[in-house]
Amino acid sequence: MFSWKKLGKVFTPQEVNHLPWLKEFAQAPATLIFEDFVRIYFSCRPSADEKGMYVSYSAWVDLDRHNLFKVLRFAKDPILSLGGHGEFDEFGTYPVSIIRDEGVVKAWYAGWTRCESVPFNVAIGMAQSYDEGETFQKMGPGPAISYSPDEPFVMSGPKIRHFNGQWQLFYIAGSKWKKVDGRAEPVYKIRMATSTDGINWKKLNKDLISSRIEEDEAQASPDVFFANGKYHMFFCYRYSADYRGKQNGYRIGYAWSVDLIDWHRDDSRAGIDVSESGWDAEMISYPHVFELDGEVYMAYLGDQVGRYGFGLAKLEGELI
Amino acid sequence: MLNWKKHGLIFSPTLNPPLVNGVGFAQSPQALVFDDYVRIYFSTREQEASTGKFISRVCYVDMDKSLQEIIRISPAPVIGPGALGAFDEHGIFPFNVLRHKGKIMAWTTGWNRRVSVSVDTAIGLAISEDEGETFSRHGNGPVMAASMNEPYLVGDAFVAHINGCFHMWYIFGTGWKKKSPEAEPDRVYKIAHAKSDNGINWERDSKTIIDSVLDDDECQALPTVIEAGGRYHMIFCYRECFDFRLQQGRGYRLGYAWSGDLSTWHRDDSQVSQLMSQGEWDSNMQCYPHLFRCDDKVYLLYNGNSFGKEGFGLAEMML
Repeated sequence: MFSWKKLGKVFTPQEVNHLPWLKEFAQAPATLIFEDFVRIYFSCRPSADEKGMYVSYSAWVDLDRHNLFKVLRFAKDPILSLGGHGEFDEFGTYPVSIIRDEGVVKAWYAGWTRCESVPFNVAIGMAQSYDEGETFQKMGPGPAISYSPDEPFVMSGPKIRHFNGQWQLFYIAGSKWKKVDGRAEPVYKIRMATSTDGINWKKLNKDLISSRIEEDEAQASPDVFFANGKYHMFFCYRYSADYRGKQNGYRIGYAWSVDLIDWHRDDSRAGIDVSESGWDAEMISYPHVFELDGEVYMAYLGDQVGRYGFGLAKLEGELI
Repeated sequence: MLNWKKHGLIFSPTLNPPLVNGVGFAQSPQALVFDDYVRIYFSTREQEASTGKFISRVCYVDMDKSLQEIIRISPAPVIGPGALGAFDEHGIFPFNVLRHKGKIMAWTTGWNRRVSVSVDTAIGLAISEDEGETFSRHGNGPVMAASMNEPYLVGDAFVAHINGCFHMWYIFGTGWKKKSPEAEPDRVYKIAHAKSDNGINWERDSKTIIDSVLDDDECQALPTVIEAGGRYHMIFCYRECFDFRLQQGRGYRLGYAWSGDLSTWHRDDSQVSQLMSQGEWDSNMQCYPHLFRCDDKVYLLYNGNSFGKEGFGLAEMML
């Protein structure tokens, strides 16, 4: 058995005053560990435009390795620019997943465009950094992984991993847009693709995680961590309707696998839930698990899917 | 030099409306040859109630083998509407059919509207097991969509099965351009080629294969390929990037290229210059060509003025 001891929120985006593109949200944390500090990538937004529409950027914050609640610095600029006219990432680059590979830092990210009948569509792009993850260059103007017959839209939430000499990309794919009170709401499930070179991907074309709370449950942030001979996945899930509040909003789920393909879901073992009060009392989402100096941590989002920032929790017990 | 015989307009959607609540057009005619007749698929339009915008639906007309007499028109569109948020939600145009192992495969170009640009497109696959009467989708998503080096519109598939391999000629967008800062963006697209073993998974090399004759912004569309006389002939249409809807001489006309090896193409528009006309249904514009063989003859279907509003016509390549 294991559980997560909450340590608190790392920073509040509303209190960061010097960056015009960082006004609200610090979403989808992803770590890159350095000798003296831990770089946490996250996605954020400037103020909404006159129509109330947001764009989203990704950036990073460096935290003191020996005190993860001490902010050392923020990125000067977003790590990726928005795409040009008609490109898949014209209105957002969120979220991002980061990995080191032979001296290069590689990023897979979701790019957002706006549609007419539904609010948006998303596809997965790729970028590389040659300066230890400070800045990134897109590998091309189009997506690295796009839509296919069984993954027709909303390809998002990439999480890149490299296990046993093979690349795994966990992500979500939309299965339907559901009309709820006249509004189109996306239903998405957790999927995976594999690659030997990180460029050409083979989709597994299978929902990895069975739905539990309802058939149209939406699942996101498939974060896979290897420990004690097993793959542990922490993810988040929500109801398809009225999910912007506490009752139907995001919670963190858990599944395990020995082969990365067949997953056994058991949310009762997730070991973390909403708090009685405070910044994460309504919902918790977008988990990211990482190991640092002999401890295992989870970064996760609180209320309103990270509008007020992300926090950390520490593993108690063993991931078995 | 290729020699052509024109047979004029053969189908008018005004005289033979394919949809009860349709608003005209019979675009991108594409043929499926049967023993006693030729079925010609085309995209026609209906108007979306909520927005007043057009949606393209695929219908067919069966014609006798002289290609002059209409036998019947499809009772309803051959494929249902696309799903909410899917790549083909706002219509299918064009619709390219191929008979293969007892089924009819159709590569669709699906349209979905965007906010910052007017539209995005991708290529889907649909299958008919009733001789092309009705089609069902191979999934709600596309078989070929935007990719790393083809970031915009992907569409206008034409597929042939040659020596055990599916070959697709298609177009991909190379950018959205504005004539002036205030103007709505216009798209630029070029012809490319992909290969597949099964018609579903495609390998593409993301490079243009047909030289431009206008300038770099020449828009090339709807390639169609046929083998005749020991070489491959490709006909397509091309136009200027800006003001192509209104200004005379800037709209679509037919282009031509040939190849001996399906790899290198030699452009030579003079091979189709004989098709030009004056004061006719196709004198201002010629577009959306489709080559097919029927009883040892090679035919060209194509649209004329106003992108096929008045219907489609026929020409014959004299062998």
